[in-house]
Amino acid sequence: MILYSDAMKYIITLLLFWGICANGQNTKAEKDSTKSVELEEVVITAAIKKKIETEMKMAVSVDEFLASSEDISFIKRGAYAWEPLLNNMSTERSTITIDGMHIFGACTDKMDPVTSYIETNNISEIDIKSGQEGSLHGATVAGSIDLKRKSTPFNLYKKWSGSYQTGFELNNKQFFNLGNVSYSSDKFVADASISFREAGNYSDGNNKEVNHSQYNKFNTSIGLAYKTSTLSSVRVEAIFDQANDVGFPALPMDLWLSRALITSASYKQLFEEGLFKVWDTKVYFNAIEHYMDDTTRPENLVHMDMPGWSTTYGLVSKATLKNERFFSEIQLNAYNNLSIAEMRMYPQDRSERTMFAYSWPSVTTTVAGISMNNTWELSERSQLNFGGSLTINYNHSKYVEFNWIFHPGTPQEKTRILPSLNTSYQLDINNFNFSIGTGYGHRAPSVSEGYGYYIYNSFDRYDYIGNPNLKNEISYEGHASAGFKNEKASVQAKVNYFYIKNYIIGRVLSMGSPMNYQSVGVKGYTSLDHSTLFNFSLNTSYTLFDDLHWKGSLTYARGKDENEKNLPFIRPLSYQTSLNYNYERFGFQTSVNGDIEQINYSPEYGEDQTPSYTIWNLSVDYTFYIKNKKTVLQLGAENVLNEYYSTYADWGNIPRMGRNIFTSLKFNL
Amino acid sequence: MKFHILFAITILFVITVSCTLEETDYEAEIATEVTDYYDFEEATSFTSNQYIITIEALNGSLHKGYNEIRLEITNTQTNEHINNSEVTFLPILTDASGNNSSCPHSYELVYNTDENYYSGYAVFTNKSGDIGSWELYISFTDNDQTYTVNQNISVLEQTNKNLNMASFIGNDDEMYFIALIAPQKPNVSENNLVAGVYKYIQPTNPAGDFPDPSQFLFSKVKNHKLLLDPRMPEPSMGNHSSPNNQDLIQLNDGLYHGVVNYTMTGNWTLNFIFLNENDQVIKGTEVPTDFTPGIEGVKSELYIDTLF
Ligand SMILES: [Cu+2]
Repeated sequence: MILYSDAMKYIITLLLFWGICANGQNTKAEKDSTKSVELEEVVITAAIKKKIETEMKMAVSVDEFLASSEDISFIKRGAYAWEPLLNNMSTERSTITIDGMHIFGACTDKMDPVTSYIETNNISEIDIKSGQEGSLHGATVAGSIDLKRKSTPFNLYKKWSGSYQTGFELNNKQFFNLGNVSYSSDKFVADASISFREAGNYSDGNNKEVNHSQYNKFNTSIGLAYKTSTLSSVRVEAIFDQANDVGFPALPMDLWLSRALITSASYKQLFEEGLFKVWDTKVYFNAIEHYMDDTTRPENLVHMDMPGWSTTYGLVSKATLKNERFFSEIQLNAYNNLSIAEMRMYPQDRSERTMFAYSWPSVTTTVAGISMNNTWELSERSQLNFGGSLTINYNHSKYVEFNWIFHPGTPQEKTRILPSLNTSYQLDINNFNFSIGTGYGHRAPSVSEGYGYYIYNSFDRYDYIGNPNLKNEISYEGHASAGFKNEKASVQAKVNYFYIKNYIIGRVLSMGSPMNYQSVGVKGYTSLDHSTLFNFSLNTSYTLFDDLHWKGSLTYARGKDENEKNLPFIRPLSYQTSLNYNYERFGFQTSVNGDIEQINYSPEYGEDQTPSYTIWNLSVDYTFYIKNKKTVLQLGAENVLNEYYSTYADWGNIPRMGRNIFTSLKFNL
Repeated sequence: MKFHILFAITILFVITVSCTLEETDYEAEIATEVTDYYDFEEATSFTSNQYIITIEALNGSLHKGYNEIRLEITNTQTNEHINNSEVTFLPILTDASGNNSSCPHSYELVYNTDENYYSGYAVFTNKSGDIGSWELYISFTDNDQTYTVNQNISVLEQTNKNLNMASFIGNDDEMYFIALIAPQKPNVSENNLVAGVYKYIQPTNPAGDFPDPSQFLFSKVKNHKLLLDPRMPEPSMGNHSSPNNQDLIQLNDGLYHGVVNYTMTGNWTLNFIFLNENDQVIKGTEVPTDFTPGIEGVKSELYIDTLF
């Protein structure tokens, strides 16, 4: 236990050691590797986010960065750890991975999506794939979000590089420091990063402080790569993340400590000849511990301890094949996750016996699957993509007696087969591009959906019970896009439609009574016959003058259940427009974004109508050079007009941040 | 270089195998409030002429509530177990003013030929010293001769609340006893709930020589029903209950069997409504089913508390 709390110390020690070895390496430069080993890897996805910054802000959190993608919306329970919704679907329906590694949060209340365990200075890009095109990393319905770690390529010349970012945000007194450094040489590469964020409570548009909205985050990472031959390398990586004293104003509890250790070791082999180009195999291990805290909420009737643990180890192995017209990725995914969550309620008379139950009764998920994505260039103008995956999903509930209470006699184990298929066709004609595609895929219920036990949902105020016998959710999707692009302007429209059979959602149970005192009843996860989801987005950009750029986007979504009733957390029509002007070393940005009134809300799932809102943001930056190194200073304001608002997906209608003046400074080393 | 990678991996491994707060040991958790009664051991033994009479009970002690009794008679002269005797068993409670009463028990013990003991039970209604003291009156036969013997016994408090009992006067003015027999060690799960239900039979004839068994007659209640509504009484639990419980009905073993689901550990109240063979209420009231956080749950007129 003591060892764990000393983890940071060890990692810092490691950084020092690494510095020493790096210097040792300098003395023997190797000259045999004149061939370039940096095979260009073909990227067939459209939605890769290149720089971890947004139009408005250069120093963003991972959540703010993700929010700039039109495919992503968020359920927000506070200022920290937003739950990313892909195609307006919750995290159970998407696969969220870090470099293909599966990680699962340890919180039954979804306080810790995977995206909360990284930091912007240790990722290089976020790869978002919609629907079954995202099945490379495993069975999915909504798609995949893969957070790509920063990894510096080998370099013939020894090179140090790095950057340091610091900043302050006035509204919640957020202070952050992010530093990263890389060393690359012919044989050896090292990347390291460290970051601290500290924020107090934020204030809403009425200048009223939102209690329990503070957070503290520490993140550090290290990656070491060694070239074992001209065409092969090994790499070990680790991320350590710790959040302390995080408030969740929309929940009846806060977070005392959440900690993740994410480790991997990989071997990469390149091939110069033949169809096989790259073979990359990685073994990984990650452990998350998550401890909630309600002692900060003396108004609670019941004091509870709710710790959770999630441990995953796995293997991901990917082969890349390529010839002139054909490109293929074949990936093997295998992992094993153990999720445990406990609740212990304390009686008012503390001498009485405490009341204990598992909210995740020690559930093991073992998954093995093979996936493949192929691109076939039919002609200069057109290509055909097709792929699929086949996954075996096995669940085991150690304390299955908990599941028997609502589902008597349910088996302790459950094996599911999860197939997936997708195909799409892309056509480019002059300045126009078109695509059309379809997909089919299954997903298994999540641990909460299958085995959760009295998990309190403070949104609709029900206790949720999992059902181990749920059928696979089956998605049938279609998507299409059309776009136009020339030197000055671009327009891109995308639509997708999902028909999801056996759609899993909580329905009020006629049996049982609440366990959590705030709760009004018990809901069980059930399969609806089907649900449908429709997403539309329109992105436009226009260069008015060389230095003046305009961008606009519009998204719309609609989700209905089998009875044509609204699904919850579906984003109403939303818009964003921004102008960007560069003048000498200055850059000026302004943007307006908002949602229109939420008409299609779902009272059944605890939603009420959310009014429209419009937010105006401004920022200015100045670039200068210190010893030829680029340095950028930025000053800006979000929600300039101090609008009081909350969005359709703000848990419990907590108000969002009011006017926030931010400043940040970025040095390149 | 490679050494450092190894070093890093070792450190990371050590870090990951330990965590800040320990997970709960579930087996220990559900055993903390429960005494395990597993083995039959000698509770008391005494001699009568050349015979040694040994009484075995779970864990070697007798408790308030239901006790399964195993009795062995050994002839010390021949060193033989007596296996064809007619054994009677009568526990008598004598209070401070000298009044005698008994408790539900099996008067005639039955010989178990497989295991070589006489089997019976007693549902002690009080621990020794509460009202008075308990004495066992035993008679047995050997070689056509009847021997009687009585022995003071010690009945202990029931520390396992899952074996609690209730005694009450029903609406029919009869005296009833309900004693929990299983589960001894409940789980957060479905638990098979077993109870013995007994009735005191009012004597119709005047008392003969003490102890006159006709004055202390009890019988197993037949074909009644116990409607079950388990709830957590703790105020903060707001009258929490569980689904899929089954009312207790009598099976061939004469005991009443049902199912209780405990959704978490802690204090529980088994609320009963006791119905006769014509479904008329003998005792018990319906309890409110509302969820009322902060208010202690209302109990039925007839209930037994459990804890695990
Ligand atoms: Cu949590």
